[in-house]
Amino acid sequence: MKNKKADFNFTLLFAIVLGAAILILAIYGVMKISNTQRYTTDSEIAKKITIITDPLQAGFSQGKFGKITFKQETKINNICFDGGIGRQDISVSTKSGVGEDWQNPGAATSVYNKYIFSDEKEQGKEFYVFSKPFNFPYKISDLIFLTSKDYCFIEPPTEIEDEILDLGVINVKVSNNGIANCSSGAIRVCFGGVGDCDIKIYGSCVSNCKTSFDSGYVEKDGNRLDFIGNLMYAAIFSDSYVYDCNIKRLMYRTGKITEVLAGKADLMNSRGCNTNLWPDLVTYSGLTSNAKSSDLGNLNKLAQELDRKNNLELCRVW
Amino acid sequence: MIEKIIKKKNKGGQFKIQQMAFMILAVFLFFILIGLGFLSFQTKSLQGNYQNLQRDQAISSLQVLTDMPELSCGYLCLDEDKLRVMSRKSEQYSQFWPVASVKVYKVYPSFESVIKCPSVDCNYFEIYDSKQQNNQEYSTYISLCKRVKENDNIYNKCEIGKLVVGVKINDE
Repeated sequence: MKNKKADFNFTLLFAIVLGAAILILAIYGVMKISNTQRYTTDSEIAKKITIITDPLQAGFSQGKFGKITFKQETKINNICFDGGIGRQDISVSTKSGVGEDWQNPGAATSVYNKYIFSDEKEQGKEFYVFSKPFNFPYKISDLIFLTSKDYCFIEPPTEIEDEILDLGVINVKVSNNGIANCSSGAIRVCFGGVGDCDIKIYGSCVSNCKTSFDSGYVEKDGNRLDFIGNLMYAAIFSDSYVYDCNIKRLMYRTGKITEVLAGKADLMNSRGCNTNLWPDLVTYSGLTSNAKSSDLGNLNKLAQELDRKNNLELCRVW
Repeated sequence: MIEKIIKKKNKGGQFKIQQMAFMILAVFLFFILIGLGFLSFQTKSLQGNYQNLQRDQAISSLQVLTDMPELSCGYLCLDEDKLRVMSRKSEQYSQFWPVASVKVYKVYPSFESVIKCPSVDCNYFEIYDSKQQNNQEYSTYISLCKRVKENDNIYNKCEIGKLVVGVKINDE
């Protein structure tokens, strides 16, 4: 009797130990596969974001707006690298009910030919993307703004209010009756520096301007971000690190495009369509290639002068 | 006699344990096989997704490239002078393009043989070529214009061109 009991117990014990080992192995395997699957999906989403933003670029329009909606809470990381053409590494991590809520982001997709302005880490289920062209004085690129937050523009100039309303940027509300009309979670943006706001915008344009905010600076988190033209939106929607990095990339690109235009001026001269812009373009290219955001104001004056000269030419370069 | 009975019982117990171990091993191998099958399916679907994403990127890049100030002279218009300049700068822009190759052909007036620019009567601009094998190409028709002065008239002289972008296709 005693032996039979021991025999039964040993068989049961053996089955339990092996069963538990297999179960643990199976759970470990499922977790590993699930993590790999999440990594793959996150990497695919990062690639898709860069493709989705292609048709959202302004092109020849005044701007475009779109919304990206995810099923789960998602973090988008936007790491910017300057130096030459530079790049932005876009990576994504999604929240999951299996295992850890957040794991390391998927493989980053490097973007060389776009300028995405956002915080270094954006989190949300809905992301708003809109774009505006950047001319300096000719078209340099489209600026893409990506944010998951709500904004409240307090008493902006009519031109800026119209731009926002025409584009249908739904996460930006305009309040013409002070802060009281802004929703509680929205980031408050004041024009002219008056009022208790998260972001203050100071305009400095005095001649040839649509509004005084055609150039100026944005005060945000204790940082000063100089802007010209549509870079005002870039300064509002991105953090200072992404902004400064992208400005350096944009200025380098300006220099390269100017080199192309100088080459074009040369070819036009060679076939009798004469232009006197070549020396100005070469100088402008040299000045812009290594410029940073604090140089924008001075470069803007040169850009305006270059544009004026081009408009006087019979054979215009752009 | 008792020893014999115990030995017989032990043999029976050992046999049962062996039976169970083989069964468990079989179940374990079965699940491993299912896992391997799933992984192989996942890898295939990942390759498929990668190729689809590459193709989507190439198609959307056609629009992006025609809008790029380095090449563009307006909506679906490429500037011939800029193309000439850019074809000499392909090294500097090697990482810049979102595709594996960017080429522009003049398609009208028609030609008999492809002559690479810069040269006399050329009809083909190679803006960028990563020299990757297994490229699949996508194209769109564009205007190919340059600003000219003839008899004191300044105007944009345009021809019909084709923008061709290549995307790398992985081997199966």
